[in-house]
Amino acid sequence: MIRFEKVSFSYMEEGSTLQDLSFTIEKGSITALVGANGAGKTTLAKLIRGLIHPTAGRILFEEEDISKCKASTLAARMGYLFQNPDRQICKNTVGEELDFTLERTVQDPIERQRLKDDVLNALQLDPADEPFLLSRGERQKVALASALVHRPQLLILDEPTTGLDYKECTQIMEYVQALNRQGVTVVMVCHDMEIVLDYADHVIVMHSGKITADGKTRQILQDPTALTSSALLPPQIIGLAARLMADGYSGFEGICTVDAMATQIEAARKAVTA
Amino acid sequence: MIQMKEFTFQYDTGKKPALKNIDLEIHDGDFVGIIGNSGAGKSTLTYAINGIVPHYYPGDFYGSVLVDGMDTVDTAPEQLAVKVGSVFQDVDAQMVATYVEDELLFGMENFGVPKDEIEARLTEALQKTGIPDLRFREIDSLSGGQKQKVAVAAIIALRPDIIVLDEPTGELDPESSDQIFQMLKFLNETYGTTIIVVEQKVGLLCGYAKRLVLLEQGEIILEGPVREVLKNADRMEEIGIHVPRVVSLYKELVQRDLFRGEAPIGLEEAETMVREVLS
Repeated sequence: MIRFEKVSFSYMEEGSTLQDLSFTIEKGSITALVGANGAGKTTLAKLIRGLIHPTAGRILFEEEDISKCKASTLAARMGYLFQNPDRQICKNTVGEELDFTLERTVQDPIERQRLKDDVLNALQLDPADEPFLLSRGERQKVALASALVHRPQLLILDEPTTGLDYKECTQIMEYVQALNRQGVTVVMVCHDMEIVLDYADHVIVMHSGKITADGKTRQILQDPTALTSSALLPPQIIGLAARLMADGYSGFEGICTVDAMATQIEAARKAVTA
Repeated sequence: MIQMKEFTFQYDTGKKPALKNIDLEIHDGDFVGIIGNSGAGKSTLTYAINGIVPHYYPGDFYGSVLVDGMDTVDTAPEQLAVKVGSVFQDVDAQMVATYVEDELLFGMENFGVPKDEIEARLTEALQKTGIPDLRFREIDSLSGGQKQKVAVAAIIALRPDIIVLDEPTGELDPESSDQIFQMLKFLNETYGTTIIVVEQKVGLLCGYAKRLVLLEQGEIILEGPVREVLKNADRMEEIGIHVPRVVSLYKELVQRDLFRGEAPIGLEEAETMVREVLS
């Protein structure tokens, strides 16, 4: 769906923020962009959305060069959640915020109402609420709702779970996953490796403006060098499995979940006591 | 010491109290983690300590909040600010300067830090937060996570007796998040600074905090040493708190009658737990 061909980008004349990036994001995937602060994740997300343009190379969206697409076309086909919801929300009520997106992207008023009700129910938002009287977590949900209410083909989320508690985090990620199952491709910048493990099927690791690893989620998260070189830590269960294997225990390869870990420990315990 | 007695607060704009009947004592040199869902009252609790409530956010204030014997209702926030350093959730709202160095100098100069101490404090704060290379950068050119580190550095340079932080690692990568907590630990252990931190990353918090306070709908429902609170992992999960996965594993092993010890904090203790089960 998205293809980067030797893309470089720089905010200033000197020095390069992103250097010579080539990769593909498959249609229907949930891809996590991970890496240390300042690695270039947000810049990459903005390039995909067409908010900024490469200084070299090109980006293709469904085989079309993004720099040649109209802003309105990209807005209708992509949804973008900014890192700080307060930079995104611009209306006085939650309902008006959603209308703002829908009026510019969906023509049929009945369809608009259907999409709006759907997202309000899914994220448990009240259309009459004033966004700036809500908590940070609630505002994040409002911003997310306005980014995805028009069901874009591609949803770009810059740290969608920041400021959310775990319950809200699970709620929104399950909704994002449900949309993904209906065909929406998702790219998300994320620091929480547990969320990446639970929801992403693909991971791109960035470090100092370069891609240092790109592959299936479990394969990347189980590769200690791919993570530690980018200031990341593996999810706890994967980290524990690695420690146990280093201690010489066998049978812990590929274990990612609490349940699988407990079952393997139980089996190993039985073998010890037998 | 911070003492809250039967403290209840309802914002003028709120439909119900943000905090209800809070009785809490935080002793000098303590390191307290505040956890809870969105809207549980975590930020309001920090506002009550630095005087933002009720001075900037008016509302109905019942009971009392004392910081080192000063009643926060009768004490001007600028007077409390000398005692209590605050790192807010929205770092953009906290920044006042154009350059990183100026952001740190602003606070120190306003607080009358002796001139010959300023450079040493500035260097230490930048080093402890891992951003000496950002000293001369424009704040607007920084990433969200880098700004968060600048906000923390600006407060620690002031060396207040008490530091309250509202989700200081929200936008930070795991290594940087750990760096911030190591720095808080350093301040706590070296200068006896009282640390009160709201944090969603419970796993990280448990590795550093001495005590946890769990808020739910404006009330304290669990409070005590970290391990004691973690014994209630079921209750925490019920509420929707992100229980660290090694604690979920511990619960599972206890349930399967494989382990009877205490809940592990961090990977090292989890490894010891598994070794014990397999020995």
